[in-house]
Amino acid sequence: MIEVKNLYKRYHNQTRQSVEWVLEDLNFTLPKGVSLAVIGRNGAGKSTLMRLIGGEDHPDRGEVIRRCRVSWPIGVTGGFQGSMTGRQNLKFLARVHGYTDRIKEVIDFMQDFAEIGKAFDQPIKTYSSGMRSRFAFGVSLAFDFDVYLSDEATATGDAAFKAKAKQVFHDRLGKASVIMVSHEEQILRDLCQAALWLRKGEPPLWFDDVNEGLDAYNASVKSPKKKSATVAPIRKAA
Amino acid sequence: MRTHWQVTWSVWHALFMREVLARTMNDRMGWFWMLGEPMMFIGFMVSIRSFMGRTREIIGAEFIPWLIIGLTGFFLIRNAITRGMSAIQANKALFAYRQIKPVDPLLVRHAMEGMLQTIVLLILLGLAVLVGMDALPDDMLGVGFMWLSLSLLGLGCALVVSVVVRLIPDLERLIKMITFPLLILSGVILPLNRFPPKMLEYLMYNPIVHGLELLRGSYFSGYHLLAGVSLEYFWQWILITLALGLALHTRYEHRLKAQ
Repeated sequence: MIEVKNLYKRYHNQTRQSVEWVLEDLNFTLPKGVSLAVIGRNGAGKSTLMRLIGGEDHPDRGEVIRRCRVSWPIGVTGGFQGSMTGRQNLKFLARVHGYTDRIKEVIDFMQDFAEIGKAFDQPIKTYSSGMRSRFAFGVSLAFDFDVYLSDEATATGDAAFKAKAKQVFHDRLGKASVIMVSHEEQILRDLCQAALWLRKGEPPLWFDDVNEGLDAYNASVKSPKKKSATVAPIRKAA
Repeated sequence: MRTHWQVTWSVWHALFMREVLARTMNDRMGWFWMLGEPMMFIGFMVSIRSFMGRTREIIGAEFIPWLIIGLTGFFLIRNAITRGMSAIQANKALFAYRQIKPVDPLLVRHAMEGMLQTIVLLILLGLAVLVGMDALPDDMLGVGFMWLSLSLLGLGCALVVSVVVRLIPDLERLIKMITFPLLILSGVILPLNRFPPKMLEYLMYNPIVHGLELLRGSYFSGYHLLAGVSLEYFWQWILITLALGLALHTRYEHRLKAQ
């Protein structure tokens, strides 16, 4: 279960002038096993919310309470040490996440999943961008989390890899859930149950049914003038 | 769900293995310099001494073992501070994982640095003994205790400095600059009783002086400590810097992560 309470976040610029809130008074509770689609226009704060839930960044006010194992945003490559090999980086993360006794399993999964072959024992800085993102994607899936965070992560790789990634995702969803940001609607409809619509300058909307959420969002994008009129059977983010 | 301690312990374990790897793989010359720097210093000082023909000995101790202990003790603190300053910057990428806090790489690096510096001390003293100098400690327990205390002072300073230089980046240059004068003012290469008493009064505010003197005191039983050396004063510094450093890390954790 993840609880988000009175979450406020803004980014200060150099002159420390006050800037607009990216997230303003966001509240919701995500029950165990429910997957959430986070939707909204560019700049609505989707990625910021993901970073806050993942604990990569800290809110200005309010808090995120994680009562389960939450991944870091899938596919984040920033945490790797370029001069170390893929294997060394993976071992490090396995140790951090308490897989010290199961390092071998993790490595086996990775070699099978990421398809980077011998590059696994080469420094990460020598990887092509495709290899790097496949590796990053695999690292996140190599560990068992209760909730995975996916910020446009499924857009990685060629068609074959995408299909494979989606398959692994589907298999995981029996045991785990996902919080997902994606511009591919079909994936959201397939994988998620609930939806959270973040709107710039307006309070966010919560939908118990992801289809309703996406329909309402699409309607507002197509006819921006009528955007508040179309959202009838919904309640405000609880 | 793991407990806080389990998470912390696995983070330290992981960081330690990573640090060992980085030190052995990428920093091969680093090993050489850890031994090379104090050895060159000793060679340099000994040649200056014989060149100047100074015969006045240090009372109760042979010069070279006296110098070795002072140098390694001083480097223990200096390396803790300089490595501590870079520990956060060098591991910035890791803060993408929320389990890792800015204080973690610092603590791990410090532990690692302390171990390496201990090995350096043992090697240098071992060499001195082999050459036939009187370089065996008289009070082994006391030496161990003072060595650990010096290391803790290094940790305290590193904790404080690592936060301060992130908040005020220009200070990094300043701190690196004062390490050399500090080498002389801490009585590492010249006994401080050569300084005029008026000046000595101020020099005694420096906790490193107290630490090094006490270390030498337990190493050579016949050694005459400087007047005014106090274990209590030294430990006050340790406790205050540790508390202040940890407090700063708690207070500025978010800002350290964000940079």
